[in-house]
Amino acid sequence: MQSPILKTAAKYLGGVSLLILSVVMLSSFFEADNPGKLFKFPYRQQGLTEKQAAAHLLSRFTYGATPGEIDAVAQSGLENWFSQQLKASLPDDSLNQLLAKYDALKLSNTEVVAEYPKNAQVLRMAIGAGVVDKDSVKTDRKVYRDILQNYMQQNGMRPEQELFRQFISQKILRAAYTNNQLQEVMTSFWFNHFNVSITKNDCAQFIPAYERDVIRPNALGKFNDILLATAKSPAMLYYLDNFTSSAANDDMADNKGLLRRRLMQNMADQSADTARRAMLMNKLQKAKKTQGLNENYAREVMELHTLGVDGGYTQQDVTQAAKVLTGWTIYPMGDYGKGIKNAVDKVGDGRLASRGFVHDGDFLFNANRHDKTDKVVLGRHFGPDGGYQEGVQLLSMLAHNQATAKFICRKIAVRFVSDNPPQSLLNKMTNTFLEKDGDIKQVLITMVSAPEFWTASAVREKTKSPFELAIGSVRSLHADVLQPYQLYNWINKMGEKAYYYQAPTGFPDKGQYWINTGALLNRMNFGLALASGRIPGVKVDLAALNNHHEPESAQAALVTYSKLIMPERKLDETIRRLAPLLTDPNLALKVDEASSNKLYAKVNQPASMSMTSAEKAMADGKIDLTGKEKNKPLAMQSAGGNNSMLAQVVGVIVGSPEYQRR
Amino acid sequence: MVSRRGFLKSGGLALLGVGLLGGIPGFLAEAAASDKIISPYKKRKTLICIFQRGAMDGLMAVTPFTDEYLKAARPTLFMSAAKSGNGSPLIDLDGRFGLHPSMKAFEPLFREKRLGIVQGIGSPNTTRSHFDAQDYMESGTPFNKGTASGWLNRAVGLLGHDALTPFTAVSMTSAMPRSFYGDNPSVSISNLQDFAIQMRGNPMGANMAARSFEDLYDQTSSSLLKQTGKESFEAVKMLQKTDIKNYSPANNAVYPNSALGSSLKQIAQLIKMDVGLEVAFAESNGWDTHFNQGTENGIFARNVADLSNGITALWTDLGTYQDDVTIMTMTEFGRTVHQNGTGGTDHGRASCNFILGNDINGGLIHGSMKSLAPENLEDGRDLAVSTDFRSVFSEVADKHLSINNDHILFPDWKGDKIGVMRA
Repeated sequence: MQSPILKTAAKYLGGVSLLILSVVMLSSFFEADNPGKLFKFPYRQQGLTEKQAAAHLLSRFTYGATPGEIDAVAQSGLENWFSQQLKASLPDDSLNQLLAKYDALKLSNTEVVAEYPKNAQVLRMAIGAGVVDKDSVKTDRKVYRDILQNYMQQNGMRPEQELFRQFISQKILRAAYTNNQLQEVMTSFWFNHFNVSITKNDCAQFIPAYERDVIRPNALGKFNDILLATAKSPAMLYYLDNFTSSAANDDMADNKGLLRRRLMQNMADQSADTARRAMLMNKLQKAKKTQGLNENYAREVMELHTLGVDGGYTQQDVTQAAKVLTGWTIYPMGDYGKGIKNAVDKVGDGRLASRGFVHDGDFLFNANRHDKTDKVVLGRHFGPDGGYQEGVQLLSMLAHNQATAKFICRKIAVRFVSDNPPQSLLNKMTNTFLEKDGDIKQVLITMVSAPEFWTASAVREKTKSPFELAIGSVRSLHADVLQPYQLYNWINKMGEKAYYYQAPTGFPDKGQYWINTGALLNRMNFGLALASGRIPGVKVDLAALNNHHEPESAQAALVTYSKLIMPERKLDETIRRLAPLLTDPNLALKVDEASSNKLYAKVNQPASMSMTSAEKAMADGKIDLTGKEKNKPLAMQSAGGNNSMLAQVVGVIVGSPEYQRR
Repeated sequence: MVSRRGFLKSGGLALLGVGLLGGIPGFLAEAAASDKIISPYKKRKTLICIFQRGAMDGLMAVTPFTDEYLKAARPTLFMSAAKSGNGSPLIDLDGRFGLHPSMKAFEPLFREKRLGIVQGIGSPNTTRSHFDAQDYMESGTPFNKGTASGWLNRAVGLLGHDALTPFTAVSMTSAMPRSFYGDNPSVSISNLQDFAIQMRGNPMGANMAARSFEDLYDQTSSSLLKQTGKESFEAVKMLQKTDIKNYSPANNAVYPNSALGSSLKQIAQLIKMDVGLEVAFAESNGWDTHFNQGTENGIFARNVADLSNGITALWTDLGTYQDDVTIMTMTEFGRTVHQNGTGGTDHGRASCNFILGNDINGGLIHGSMKSLAPENLEDGRDLAVSTDFRSVFSEVADKHLSINNDHILFPDWKGDKIGVMRA
């Protein structure tokens, strides 16, 4: 029977030949499409060989090179590989096969809302349906959880957590296995730039579609497009509260006053029906919710998404921009926007446009809520009644601002070059951004075509994030990921709870953020756990990685596997440092013996008490000290197959400082 | 890279063992006296913050039991301080406020004037979203979402010295809390036992791997990795000195068998190990009581029992360390004055918090809470915020940690302190 590892290996080899073939074919297309525009990477001038440059390129624009990939890219030409990655159109059949079992991935937001309701919502529905008595709800009791679970099953609903699990598993598989690596890396970059968070309950359900429909398709497009798409997405509208923002409305204020008076009367009357009062309270809160300007999105779109904190805007600009963006909300779905639904129903879907409403997928521009005064942002006038187009023009203005060009280009350079990219490089990228209408592909090409990208000060200067470390080692070791969520648990433990970063800033992109004592120890432990097969559902076949040639000794294993896992690097120092530990004549014995110790102890408890560890090993028949033990091939699999010397060596390599860098 | 930990440069930690056995080495004492570095031997003050996520009903924890409006608003949730039938009454603190009976562990601490309570504490931002309110409270900037750092991280930066050890700021949580976001060194870890190189069932392999890692990190050309690697292994060694797993609390302290209890116990361990802990953080969950929150029994009663028993156990366990420690709770907002239709309460505005320590102006209910008459309520429904949380947090940071740089700790805030700490 073929092992899953071998199957992947076969898949992979097929992938490489497909890759080489398609690079050759596509590159000729590319030249035909863009005559005379084929770029050239100046790595030789920086003293890098073709292979070293390929290693650097792959370290920047993939989640880590797979075995053999550096050679393949060097052979087919770095520029060819890059232009093909920019197209993001390589077939991904084997990945799609892996993703097929996740049935929530294709759901629309409306379907998600119906199928994966929030926990509190389920409870409310169950009470409404009379399944649970409102007076006996005890959310912490198992019986009630069972009743709710039953209720959900019968009504075709599933727990929200499962949606997130599928979504996160998908991301891990995609990062590990897609052939369009650059697109996926850029997807992570933009998601983090336009961060939304599962920790915010209101927007959580919309995050899978946000990444799928808003971020990924625009990851290599124009900046203005991705900015506009995020502004109109339910995830962002909820995350930064713009869905609720509206012009202060006199009618509503009156309404609120009336409600408050009624409520107070009610409270004075102690015999008032609590249910009725609760209803009034609810109404009051709704009235409050739907009234007034919310500046959160307007502030962050300038501070974090476009201009940057020193981008030259004032608090006045923030307030005015918030007014421009009033009425930008989500189209009613499920429990969402019931109030808006009334307004929409009143107007009638057909006549929405004539009233200035805009319905575009999940987005709704609610003309009734739009501020119809004259507004001025950064010196430009908007309105008084330009409706939806005001916001579109505002975002376009921000997207094309010079401060934005600088801010975005710096962020891209920090992500792909170094934590402190040189100003000369930033200037080149900023010029391209401004000249090419914020075309991200062109900005990337300018960056990679610049000598600064290839200087010694950039090579291996970035620290891998926990996600990059985990996915990179899966790719380096050719691991088979059967349970992606297990990897996520480790990524979380190493300090990157992806999709749960609370602040709109996104994770800081600098080594200092990722490397602290607790996180660093967990990185080392991750290496050991992965290599020794102790991460459930993540299979590593170390022997297959070296074509089933067993290294002659621990030392040989160190040299061979260091080169396999960290190709094109100077590893002399790493090897020199580790070698003495490994050449300790008793070491292999000690480690193998220690790993079989447990097993032995089980079968022969009393004897183990009086024996030294070496004796135990001998008694176990594992090692013959009097024979040719020292020259014996390294044990690939010892007791349990998890603690062999080889796994230990590989684990140390993955946890080594050199491997934390890219 | 900026040097983050002064003591490592001087090799202070390596000498810790020597110091414990044979007194403080002369040159180190000299260095400490010169104020260039602060000796790890010198006891540091520690602030422990506990975030009660979900919004605690402050009106049930510390009930204004003489308030007729509250009684009317909560037909089945109102508790009285008068003894009646089988139920346990509230613990009358000062004739106006009563402590929930499940918090009886707090009563002696209050009577001894070590425990202070602020009623009516909250945020000036009126959001009733858990997410937003927690975000604002933890960033310390109630009107700015884009603040990258958390207030406790900024506090670490204002301690006036480099972080002395890897344990200067520790959050006992699996993920870094918003309060700890930022550039100053801080660690989040849910279990101290994770602070080790681990290979299950293979201690010798783990030992060898640890030696390999230590050697590799010692030679790397990346100063960040080299420095942090060194600190990591020092941290491992510091913790190895103590049997963390079989820790037995002092003075017969009994921690609740809960997530919070476990976090607080580990914080006590760190403090008693003298590893330089100055800011600690723990979480308590389950305060979002929309349904049947109960009275003397039920969800709320269990939560406050866990909280008060945990804090009291920590306090008891600390023994002679008590003078150096202040414990402060916080929650994102309070709950509606009226109970809702499902025996619970909904999202409101102000809540209360607890501050425990020997330099607390204790035995008092601080704040200026008015009666719950309709005209005093915020939006006609909620206990109004009469004390800005930043007023209390900054006073505690100032008096306990000697941090008085409010414009960095809480930018945009200019307000008065209310005297929760002794002058």
